[in-house]
Amino acid sequence: MKKMTLEKIVKKGISFLSKIFPVKSYLYFPLLSTAIFWGIRRATEWKKKILSWQVYLDPELIEEKPAEFVLNFFKKSSSLSQVYEAEIMSNDKEALREAFNRLYPIIGLEDPFLSALFYEELESKDFRNIVKEFDEEVSRAKRDIEALEGKSRLLEGLKSVAEEAASLSVDLMSNEEVQEVVANEIKKWTKEGN
Amino acid sequence: MRLKSGRRKETNEEMKKEVNEEREREMNKNLISRETIASFRIIPKISFIILLLLFWLFSLPACVSHLKDAKFFYSQGQRFSSLYQTEKAVASYKRALIEAELEAEKHPSAQAFMLKGMAELNLELWKEAEGSFLNAFSYGFEKGEEWAREISLLGLASSLDELKLEDPALKIYASVLDKSKLRQVAVFAAQKYTDAMLKRALQKEGKEKQKLLATALKTAEKLTTKDLSCGFYHYLQSQVLSHLEDYKKSFEEAVMARELGLPKQEIFRDNDLQIVFCYQSLKEKLQEEEWEEFRSRYMAWVKRWNWRDAETPSWKSEVRNASDN
Repeated sequence: MKKMTLEKIVKKGISFLSKIFPVKSYLYFPLLSTAIFWGIRRATEWKKKILSWQVYLDPELIEEKPAEFVLNFFKKSSSLSQVYEAEIMSNDKEALREAFNRLYPIIGLEDPFLSALFYEELESKDFRNIVKEFDEEVSRAKRDIEALEGKSRLLEGLKSVAEEAASLSVDLMSNEEVQEVVANEIKKWTKEGN
Repeated sequence: MRLKSGRRKETNEEMKKEVNEEREREMNKNLISRETIASFRIIPKISFIILLLLFWLFSLPACVSHLKDAKFFYSQGQRFSSLYQTEKAVASYKRALIEAELEAEKHPSAQAFMLKGMAELNLELWKEAEGSFLNAFSYGFEKGEEWAREISLLGLASSLDELKLEDPALKIYASVLDKSKLRQVAVFAAQKYTDAMLKRALQKEGKEKQKLLATALKTAEKLTTKDLSCGFYHYLQSQVLSHLEDYKKSFEEAVMARELGLPKQEIFRDNDLQIVFCYQSLKEKLQEEEWEEFRSRYMAWVKRWNWRDAETPSWKSEVRNASDN
């Protein structure tokens, strides 16, 4: 199975070389066998390196705050205590906590992204509107952010052949084995009258 | 004369021969140069082939580059997120997701799905993240990939938590926290476990609440004892102590957390606000003498941190803060 797939790749390589370099077929063998052998080795090394590159999940802040902390947040800010006067007076913990969960990252922690997103509401001290629109606005803004542009796609097409060779799980194949496959394919190709 | 003419003839023939030989040499010379020229024409082709093959050789790791790119963009997202650069962080996580999807499609593996799940978790795509982590487990982790298995387990628990399956999630957090030897894994599990325990405690009253808080504190203390230099564990302890209304100890732990360092700007600021909250609460609760003693200690820290005043950390926006107070 491994050899079959490698054979296909060698065939592709020969056909590719024969178009650009039709007369000098004696060069196919050294070029192809070396490239494939070292290519496989290189890809295996890379794969090992990448697989051992550890990535982790980052911790977040503790979201569950005591009721006293929530109340203090509203009381210590003159503008917030004005807007939420009724909830503070009636000790409506549920309503205050719901508003706190939206307002604390903006007013308390001063999250730059959220502060910019709700700039107008903050300027006009329209805190209730922030609480009301928070989920929708934030998810819409995050949805609209495009993924980062990566490297140039210019050579992507050329890479496909290389990818096929490297994606083979033939890291245990020896140099001789690779050479044998390449040599056989070149012989077949020559016999076919090329 | 005959002799002379005969010699002349010989000379003429010799000359002709010489000329012919010269011509032949010239012709041969031309032939060589034609061959040389022909071979020179081949050189660019060979160079081109070698260059192409070299390019091929160096681009061979492309088969694993989607996984590499996914890890790179994920790490970049974490870096931006820790610096409070949300737009860039979201863009990086999106790119990490694209790369992980490509990897999972072309070369499905446990790590490919783990990365996909991690990116989805950061983009708050809970259902998709759950599916990805389950896929990661179905492919299985090899020897040496214990870290990836633990991360996938935590990721799965985290997505279950967000999908309101809180009990199984808490069990996983507790189990990973108990068994993991990796600091990065333990830190994440500790945060999730503490938050989940605090959430439960807030839903209860009286003894039940106190019992849950005591358990959460015990865990945080155990973690701190095990790894005294980890600022994040001191932060967790400070947060739990705040729920227990022990503001003096909460303040002390928050100071320790600040001094030892915290993983993200967001957590750092939250910790600062905890310090301010402790100060404000103690101001109301402590007797005058005790308060003065605490205040003098507190102000020494404020000076050390270059805060604008006792209740305003240096990162607080000056204009908004002034108008607000």
